[in-house]
Amino acid sequence: MAGFRDAAASAPTTDLQLLPLRFERLRHDRYFVSNVVGEGMLLNREQLERLVSLELSPGNGLYERAFEKLLIAVKGQSSQLQLLAMRLRSRMAFLQQPTALHIFVVTLRCEHSCPYCQVSRSSVDRDRFDMSEDTATRALRIALAAPAPTIKIEFQGGEPLLNFPRIQQIVEAARRDAPDGKKLEFVIASNLALLTDAVLDFCRTHSILVSTSLDGPVDLHNRNRPRPGGNSHQLAVEGIKRAQAVLGRDRVGALMTTTEASLDRVEDIIDEYLRLDLDGIFLRPLSPYGFAVKTKQFDKYGGREVLKFYERGLRYILEVNKNGRPFPEFYASLLLKRLLTDVPIGYIGLRSPAGIGLGALVYNYDGKVFASDEGRMLAEMGDRTFELGDVARDDYPSLILSDKLIGLVGGSLAQCSPECASCAF
Amino acid sequence: MTDIIIEFGPSQSIGALREAAYRLIGDVSCQIDTVDGRHVCRFIPKTALAGEADEEAIRTRFLDLVTDENLREKVAAETAGARDVILALAFGALAREREASGSG
Repeated sequence: MAGFRDAAASAPTTDLQLLPLRFERLRHDRYFVSNVVGEGMLLNREQLERLVSLELSPGNGLYERAFEKLLIAVKGQSSQLQLLAMRLRSRMAFLQQPTALHIFVVTLRCEHSCPYCQVSRSSVDRDRFDMSEDTATRALRIALAAPAPTIKIEFQGGEPLLNFPRIQQIVEAARRDAPDGKKLEFVIASNLALLTDAVLDFCRTHSILVSTSLDGPVDLHNRNRPRPGGNSHQLAVEGIKRAQAVLGRDRVGALMTTTEASLDRVEDIIDEYLRLDLDGIFLRPLSPYGFAVKTKQFDKYGGREVLKFYERGLRYILEVNKNGRPFPEFYASLLLKRLLTDVPIGYIGLRSPAGIGLGALVYNYDGKVFASDEGRMLAEMGDRTFELGDVARDDYPSLILSDKLIGLVGGSLAQCSPECASCAF
Repeated sequence: MTDIIIEFGPSQSIGALREAAYRLIGDVSCQIDTVDGRHVCRFIPKTALAGEADEEAIRTRFLDLVTDENLREKVAAETAGARDVILALAFGALAREREASGSG
């Protein structure tokens, strides 16, 4: 930045050019002013007026700050514009690499009966709710045709280990059939109740990550996640420890879901994650899908309660970190990375355009293809808005270039939405 | 429930009035009519106002929002050229990278 400050120091104010900016009034005489990539500063109204009118003088502080924040440039010099362009390009780099995430719902069956289940699991009928070999083969063909140099294949359910042979088939076929240079990553999202040594061996052989569900200490977890025997917590904890031992600590992650019973237990939940040596936590509220709606779990608390829960948890996590234990809250990390850096983040839900199709495709057990995981959850509730096609008749281009997906992606552009279009944040 | 009316002269951009009205949508509905070149903004509160102080607060808030929107329009107009250059530099390069990598 020193170079730009030097340029500013020698520039007569008549040669200045205002660069695109946005602003938002925080309170009466306080404004947040940001540049094209969202980096900003606080100004009062008089300073904002002076900036916009280019009534700036070298040495008065505002002039230099405006240069440093890329809000003004010297007429005829392109360095500031090129720097903004480079940073904007970096932030939007995810558009260059469609589609990096491919979710295979290898079964909708599950042996748990969680009342908040968002995917509307089924407990019976293997023939109806398991992905067939043929469907898996066709889905994989689509996934491997995605241009992204690295693709992540995530196995979900139901409980995906109930159809472990299908996971084996897909992993082995992907290793065999991936185009030269294409990197593959695999994740199994499992409750770990059915984890066996054979599964762990396979995960180690193929560098498969394990993601599980852990809602907190034993009483809370088992209350949230009932299963025959009432031992979900015990099996999850045993599974986490075994997977950490065999695959490595950094190859196992966990997700929690917040229920009404969780709301005054956030410290207990975080302590459980710390006790199990997990590398962070995602304090995640319920989403309005599946059984979470049907059983009215979603209605049991509101945004105010979630924010209180989240704030209390985040404060506790900050203390943990201050005391020397690195332990991120993953959602806060994502938001901070998005706000403070130009690193393109892969999080599907924080992109504009949204990651539907361009970021992720979901291959359902029955061969239907969805633009997002939430899309297949909606479909189980009767809303097929995000259903793009079927592996039996579609290929990658026909799904990605379909009028339906283009319409959905266009509708997701925050840049074109009321208020978002002028949002300074 | 009393409506609140604020009038603007012909030089006021109606786009800025619309943007400002949208920002108040949680508290008041707004109807904008243009009569003989003057813009008449009629606000209908969604809940009963406690008194003149509430009415004045809505009036002041709307005028502040219009002031901000006017400034946004001025900035957008003055920086349109720079914005186009930045976007061209950013996404023109993306297209070239794709062509170079043979994935386009």
